[in-house]
Amino acid sequence: MIGGYILTPEQYDQVQGQFINPYQFINCVQDINDVWFFFGNEQDKEVFKDTEFMWLFDLPQGEYIPKPSPPFPI
Amino acid sequence: MILASHGIISSQIASFDADALAFFARVTAAGGTLSATEKAATNQLVLDLKANSLWTPMKAIYPMVGASAAACAQNLKSSSFTGTFTSGWTFASTGVTPNGTSAYFNTNLPSNTMSNGSTHMSYYSRTNAVGSGVIDMGTESPDFLIWYNAFGASLGNFGVNMIYTPTITDTRGFLLASKYTTTQGLIQFNSTQQLKTGLTGDTRSTKNIFIGAINTGAPAGYFSAKQTAFNSIGDGLTDTQASNFYTAVQAFQTTLSRQV
Repeated sequence: MIGGYILTPEQYDQVQGQFINPYQFINCVQDINDVWFFFGNEQDKEVFKDTEFMWLFDLPQGEYIPKPSPPFPI
Repeated sequence: MILASHGIISSQIASFDADALAFFARVTAAGGTLSATEKAATNQLVLDLKANSLWTPMKAIYPMVGASAAACAQNLKSSSFTGTFTSGWTFASTGVTPNGTSAYFNTNLPSNTMSNGSTHMSYYSRTNAVGSGVIDMGTESPDFLIWYNAFGASLGNFGVNMIYTPTITDTRGFLLASKYTTTQGLIQFNSTQQLKTGLTGDTRSTKNIFIGAINTGAPAGYFSAKQTAFNSIGDGLTDTQASNFYTAVQAFQTTLSRQV
């Protein structure tokens, strides 16, 4: 099982693509039900500390089921 | 007096190649740090690339040293094409690892920086992960992408003629795809090289090349979870250049005790 933090569409709009520092930015993905997920590990948590986006790690967590892979692009 | 009291440091600085020194300065300015071993290995890599006519063809070299986003985002070749990581990466002295679900590295290098008849990409995987639906680097087809395993069988893409056979059963190693004329290219996995002829034309988009996924414009897809310890993008490499490139990169990894 892959676990991630669940975002509302409004929260997604608020954070998607936002830079944490000059070399790292936030990327969220949609699961099979079009629910937005944020994935952050322990290193991310350290980086996010003292930023305005630390609340992402307080979001409810849930199981992430990816969308089926599209056809291989060749 | 100051020089005399810092003689050792001065001699160490003097022994580094100017381009290696510039890279170290970029890492430091970004807030990253490199160990003495990482500096020595990187410097030797630069020297080896230059000695084998491999420096000039490079547009971007990401040695993935320094165990931080700030250090690993830096391009060894020049101050251009500094990359950016998404959330979801793990940084270690052995390389950088995407999470396989949302993480990618934007090189900020548009695919059309290279031409149809002269282009290459490489990926040094430290992870054995055979599986389907994963592409490790590139931009969406019809363009330029490489992968270790597509349905357990393929490597590279410059039209169907750039498929590596037989099936790779262990994806740890250095994968290189190069097209050095409009119809000739090669695909190389570690020291095994396969020359390809009669290649079909391929296109170049303005999309940036991604690592750990491909740039689909939406923005990314086919996420990989393979740890990478080196990546390069640039002009096409001939068979001799590609062979020498593997030797140089493998020596670099061996110095860092992270070779596979």
